[in-house]
Amino acid sequence: MIPELGHVALIIALQLAMLQGVLGLAGATRGNTVWIAMARGAAGGQLLFIVAGFLALIWSFMVNDFSVMNVADHSSRHLPVQYRITAAWGSHEGSFLLWALLMSSWTVSVVLVGRKLPADLQARVIGILGLLSFFFLAYILFTSNPFMRLHPPPANGSDLNPLLQDPGMIIHPPLLYMGYVGFSVAFAFAIAALISGKLDEAWARWVRPWTLMAWVFLTLGIMVGSWWAYYELGWGGWWFWDPSENASLMPWLAGTALVHSLAVTEQRGALRVWTVFLSLTAFALSLVGTFLVRSGVLSSVHAFALDPLRGLFILVFLCILIGTSLILFAKRAGAVKTAGDFGTVSRESALLAGNVLLLAALATVLLGTLYPLILDALGLGKISVGPPYFNAVFVPMMAPVLVLLGIAPWMRWGRESLPELLRRLRWQAGAAVLIGSVLPFAVAEWKWQAALGLVLAAWMILSTLSGLIARRRATGTLPLAAYGMGCAHVGLAVGVIGMGLVSAYQSEKTVAMQVDDSTRLGRYEFVFRGAEEVPAANYSAMRGVVLLKQEGKLVTTLAPEKRIYRSSQMTMTESAIRYGFFGDVYVAMGEPLEEGSWSMQFYLKPFVGWLWGGALLMALGGLLAALSGRNKGVNE
Amino acid sequence: MNLWIGVGAFVIVALVFLLLPLWRQKSALAGRHNEIRWPAVGVLGALPALTVGLYIYLGAPDIIKEQALTQAQANYDVDGMVKALEDKLKVTPNDAEGWYALGRAYIAFERFADAEEVLRKATVEAPKDAKLIAQYAEAIALKQGSLDGRPLELLMEALEISYEETKALELAGLAAFQKEKWAEALHYWRRLLKLLPKETEHHEAIAQAVVTAERKLDLSLGGTGMKAPTPPDEPKKTPH
Repeated sequence: MIPELGHVALIIALQLAMLQGVLGLAGATRGNTVWIAMARGAAGGQLLFIVAGFLALIWSFMVNDFSVMNVADHSSRHLPVQYRITAAWGSHEGSFLLWALLMSSWTVSVVLVGRKLPADLQARVIGILGLLSFFFLAYILFTSNPFMRLHPPPANGSDLNPLLQDPGMIIHPPLLYMGYVGFSVAFAFAIAALISGKLDEAWARWVRPWTLMAWVFLTLGIMVGSWWAYYELGWGGWWFWDPSENASLMPWLAGTALVHSLAVTEQRGALRVWTVFLSLTAFALSLVGTFLVRSGVLSSVHAFALDPLRGLFILVFLCILIGTSLILFAKRAGAVKTAGDFGTVSRESALLAGNVLLLAALATVLLGTLYPLILDALGLGKISVGPPYFNAVFVPMMAPVLVLLGIAPWMRWGRESLPELLRRLRWQAGAAVLIGSVLPFAVAEWKWQAALGLVLAAWMILSTLSGLIARRRATGTLPLAAYGMGCAHVGLAVGVIGMGLVSAYQSEKTVAMQVDDSTRLGRYEFVFRGAEEVPAANYSAMRGVVLLKQEGKLVTTLAPEKRIYRSSQMTMTESAIRYGFFGDVYVAMGEPLEEGSWSMQFYLKPFVGWLWGGALLMALGGLLAALSGRNKGVNE
Repeated sequence: MNLWIGVGAFVIVALVFLLLPLWRQKSALAGRHNEIRWPAVGVLGALPALTVGLYIYLGAPDIIKEQALTQAQANYDVDGMVKALEDKLKVTPNDAEGWYALGRAYIAFERFADAEEVLRKATVEAPKDAKLIAQYAEAIALKQGSLDGRPLELLMEALEISYEETKALELAGLAAFQKEKWAEALHYWRRLLKLLPKETEHHEAIAQAVVTAERKLDLSLGGTGMKAPTPPDEPKKTPH
């Protein structure tokens, strides 16, 4: 009964999305306030019915209703209740329903928060979001229906993928999707601007907080995903250049470019067409990312869904969406009046240069991600493009961005004198080079990765902070957005320190250990005290006990596990990590050997936590900037 | 609640969301009835029709009825089968397998006293069938809530007849385990494990029990590190 009602709710939501799209766009064009009002009502109703559908699905998981195929395929009686709830979005069907739910929530927030928007702009935005939502609901109902029934139902379900039975995986997809879906608001605003030909500073002021919030969510989503991979996959890596990771990195790069370009448009009215282009790109790449991960064209740790028909549906939609937006862009971009002249050396040009570099870096990621797929599709063989390519191409492309990041805030809008700029920044540059090249000696031996990371990070931190101080001295006050910028840029620097130091100084060791054997790695001694069986509801685990000692003194006891999940018979490695400010100690169990001995893996990961700490600071910075944008909107 | 009442309620809620804005703007739209009329009429007609149509096409409206029917059928069949078996045994009271089947059905319904009675009849009809004796032992144990006494005697009797009787091995192991005779429990269960088909739930459960017993034995022998002694060999008097 409940699943059937959930199904009906989604069918009604589909129709409301269509009405919202058609009435919103037509109402704006014809200036018909009745239709616009109905479109707004449809948006509210749509959210209510998608929530009802989502709750019906969660309920089906909670009560183990295996007559719902989605429940039978992704849950089981042994599954702990918190994972029964999250399994609702762990499946392909459920994750798209989550997407639809989030998109509908963003739409309703545009309806509620955007009351002060010009009526026709708001109606167009609502209409475009309605059409996007219609696509997703149609996709769900016709190819990925979470309410398909089984009769008679199986006695038990086939359980949730053990990789997803983890707290990190509970919040990673919703955060990521909040980001992806959030870019749809910027996209809708951009299309609305192209249709009406009206794009000014006020427009940018409206779009910026939405885009910043989407960027914040995407940053957090990527951060949690990376952290999850670090502790869950059992070998301490934090970024793999896996296509499904690239899928989230690409919209992030485009979104990063977009928030900076929006700042220029908002402050100076310049770069309008470029801003529109980036708005279209960021959302299109979010869809490409979803297509890559969810269509099954990849076979990697994230690609749990395999169904060519579904892939085709998204591909066709992508072509229509990107094609229409590009045609609209080509035809109407001329109508968007450009303004805001700026010189070759100016803050605008520095931000534009950073933007172009970000997009160039994005292009290398896109190439490295799609090239193997294209070769494969053309039957030219299977190749894999991995870290060697990305490290050689992406990293050099990003280094100048980090240099520019320190310079741009020091530059004046409009025109800047280069010798004057160099004079102002000479101390920061000198100090950064000095700190960066000397500090590695203090940590351990001198390595170029560490030195490069530290020089860049020191440069970013020194120039950003001194820039903010200078600005505060000059004007007597600092807007919230400036704090946000400072926080995000320092966050990036912190992340770069983490990346540089962990890639330069990490060490690892794999040893076969008997009970009471010990081994050394770095300053630590590890004593293996054997492994014992620990049963749980839906898996049984061998839990190793490892004493971590430093200079003969016990630091802590680590308990890595090797789990076998009952229903799927999948083996999982649960690493044990001692988190620390200056680095992590990471232990994972390998394979059991004879006579109770085990192959054990030990890793030292210096400063690895700074990676995620930096990402957190970046997200906080984005949040501050978004709040500042909102305040401005309210004041005017 | 009837499904279609729910569908109707949903459609009404959706219509409220769409038409309420019209109602609110009514005064402002006083002279413009045409503007209100056609979208309102269109929505009122199309939304219910499309909802029902799409649901019948995509959904499984019959599943609620089917589920109820299957449930009723399942209950009816088991009751009917037991009744038929009882009637049949009145005619052929020397059918040991028949009594055995009825006894197992009674155990499934937790009618332990009845189960004991009919399984006793089964063992009378076939006194040398280890399977029947073990089942009889289980019924008594379930009724009295313990394997001690008569059930254990019967289990030993069954194992005397056949040392490959799985139920007898399992229960004998359990009885030993309850008395904390770990090595003895291990002996029966390891033997049982060899007989059970692999990759079944039963096999897995027994394997789990063996591990538990091994750990208990290990502890009783004075902590970790020591190897468990090999369990006693099978009794020499095995009749096979």
